[in-house]
Amino acid sequence: VRCQQVPPLRALQASAALRRASDEHRKEPLTSSSQQHFDSPPAGHQPEQEPQGPHTSYTGQGGQESEDYESEEQLQHRILTAALEFVPEHGWTAEAIAEGAKSLGLSVAAAGMFHSDGSELILHFVSDCNTKLSKLLEKEQKLVQLGEAEKKPIDEFLRDAVEARLRMLIPYIEKWPQALSVLLLPRNIPSSLNLLTSMIDDIWHYAGDQSTDFNWYTRRAVLTGIYNTTELVMMQDSSPGFEDTWRFLENRVADAMAMSNTASQVQSTGEAVVQGLMGAAVTVSNAETSRAVR
Amino acid sequence: VRLWRCRCRALLSRPAGAVRPRRGLAAGPEMHFGFQTVTEEERREKIYQVFENVAKKYDVMNDSMTLGIHRVWKDILIHKMNPCPGTLLLDVAGGTGDIAFRFINYVRSVRQRQLQRKLKDHQNLSWQEIFESYQKDKSNSLGDSQVVVCDINREMLKVGKQKAQHLGYTEGLSWVLGNAEELPFDDDKFDVYTIAFGIRNVTRIDLALQEAYRVLKPGGRFLCLEFSHVSNPLLSSLYDLYSFQVIPVLGEVIAGDWRSYQYLVESIRQFPPQEELKAMIEDAGFFKVDYENLNFGIVAIHSGFKL
Repeated sequence: VRCQQVPPLRALQASAALRRASDEHRKEPLTSSSQQHFDSPPAGHQPEQEPQGPHTSYTGQGGQESEDYESEEQLQHRILTAALEFVPEHGWTAEAIAEGAKSLGLSVAAAGMFHSDGSELILHFVSDCNTKLSKLLEKEQKLVQLGEAEKKPIDEFLRDAVEARLRMLIPYIEKWPQALSVLLLPRNIPSSLNLLTSMIDDIWHYAGDQSTDFNWYTRRAVLTGIYNTTELVMMQDSSPGFEDTWRFLENRVADAMAMSNTASQVQSTGEAVVQGLMGAAVTVSNAETSRAVR
Repeated sequence: VRLWRCRCRALLSRPAGAVRPRRGLAAGPEMHFGFQTVTEEERREKIYQVFENVAKKYDVMNDSMTLGIHRVWKDILIHKMNPCPGTLLLDVAGGTGDIAFRFINYVRSVRQRQLQRKLKDHQNLSWQEIFESYQKDKSNSLGDSQVVVCDINREMLKVGKQKAQHLGYTEGLSWVLGNAEELPFDDDKFDVYTIAFGIRNVTRIDLALQEAYRVLKPGGRFLCLEFSHVSNPLLSSLYDLYSFQVIPVLGEVIAGDWRSYQYLVESIRQFPPQEELKAMIEDAGFFKVDYENLNFGIVAIHSGFKL
C-alpha cells in the first residue's frame, strides 16, 4: 500500500485502511487510491457507496475532505480511549496504551507516541470525565428550565455534582492513587491544574453562580478543597458503595454553607467595626481642628 | 540471491582495473564514497568491502573510537523504544547484533516484572493453578518477542552469530541476509524497525526508508540511530580534529586498515543533517517524525510512526 502522491491533507493511510477494513465486511477492500479526492471512483468499485458511519462518508466529487481523514490527534485520542479498558489490569502505564493500540489493530509500538509514564492517558481520562460531567449538568439544567424538575438547593446541587464526578473513578479506583501521583509531577501540573479549575468552574456555573467580586475566588477555592479532600477519602474508603465518602462529602458541603453564613456575619461585623473606627477618627480629627481653631 | 545478482552486475559494469568512472560509460549516477565521487554500483561494492575487512574488529574499533560511549547510545535507543513483550523487531544493518542483544535483555526484564506482578495479584490460586501458570510462563521468558537481524554483509552476520552463541542468546533471534533497499520481507510485518549506524552506508536512503515503511505494521515505529551534525562551533572543531587525526590512526593500529576508517569519518560528514533526514523520513510517509540529539549532535535518534 504505497501512495506516491501526497494529498494536501495528509490522511493517515495505514490506520484509516485498518478502520475501513474493520468497518466494511461485505465490501471488497478499497484500494488506498480511494482516499484521494478523485472525481470518479476508480474502476472496479461497486456502484453503491452508502455512507457506513461517521467517518466513511464518501465525497467523490473532488471535495477537500477525503474518505477516512483523521488527524494524528484524533488517532491518539482513539488509542487512549481504547487503552482505558486495560487500565484496571495494567495500571496507568505504557503497557495499557500498547494493549489499547493492539485492540485497534495497530502495532504495540504505537504506544511510543506517548510518554512512558502514562501521563497522557490520565489527562485524557480526566478531561473525558469533565466533559461527561458538563453534559450531565447541562442536561439537568435543561430539565429545570423546561420545568420538568425542581431546582435543587445549592448544597444538594454541589453534593450531587461532586458525587457524580467521583463516581466516574470507581472502575479505576484501585490504580487511581498512582494516577494522582503522576498528575502531581511538575511536568503535568499545568495541565492537571487547568483541568481541575475548569471542572470546578463548570460546577459553579451550573449551580447558578454569577458573582463578579471576591466571592468568585472564595467559592472556587472552597469547592476545590471539598473535591480534593473527598477524592482522597475515597481512595481509602472500603465501605460498601462508598457510603463513608458520601457522608464525608455531605458534612464538608454543610460546613462550607455554614462557613459562608459565618463569613457574611464576619463581614457585616467587620464593616460595623470599620465604620465605628472611621467615625472615631472623624470625631478625633474634628476635635483637633476645633481645638486648633479655638 | 538478490545480493549475488547485485554484485555480479557491479563486477560486469566496472571496467577492469579502473577505480574512477570513465565519463563516457553510463555506469550509473554519481555518488559520494566518503569524499570521493563514485557511481552507485561502485559505492555498494566499496562499502561491502569496507565492512568485509572490518567485520572481525568491528566491536573493538567501536569501543576504542567512541571510548565506549556507543554502548550508552545504543542503550538510550532501546530505552526510547521501550518495547513490551510480544514486539517484533527488525534490526537492519544490525550485523554484529548489538541492538538485537540489548532488545532481548530489555524484553526479558520487562517480562520478569510482568510475571512477578501477575503472581502478586493472584494470591488466592490453588497450588495446581500456580504450578501450571509457572510452567507456562517459564517456557515463555521473552513473551513471544522476536528480533530479526538483517544485514547485507555476510561477514558481519557471521561475526554476529558467533557473538550470539558466545553470549548465550539462543531464542527469539534470527539472522537474515538482505539489502535495506530491497528487504526480503512481506508488507506489514514488524512492530519496530531500527537501523543503528547503518543508514549512512545505504546508497539510496529514500529506497531504504520506503522499504522500512512497507514492512512495518500500521502503528509501527521507525527508529534510526546515526552520526549527525554538531552545531556548536567549538565542539565541532574539536570533533573534526579527533575524527580526522585520531580515528584513522586507531584504525591502522588496531584493525590494520586506515582506509576503511577514513571512509567512516568522511561518510559522517557527507550524511544529511538532522532536519534534512527528518524531511526525508516524512517524505517516505511517516508521521510524528522527531529527532533527539545525543552529545550535542554527534549522534541523533530519529523516530517516526507509520500511521
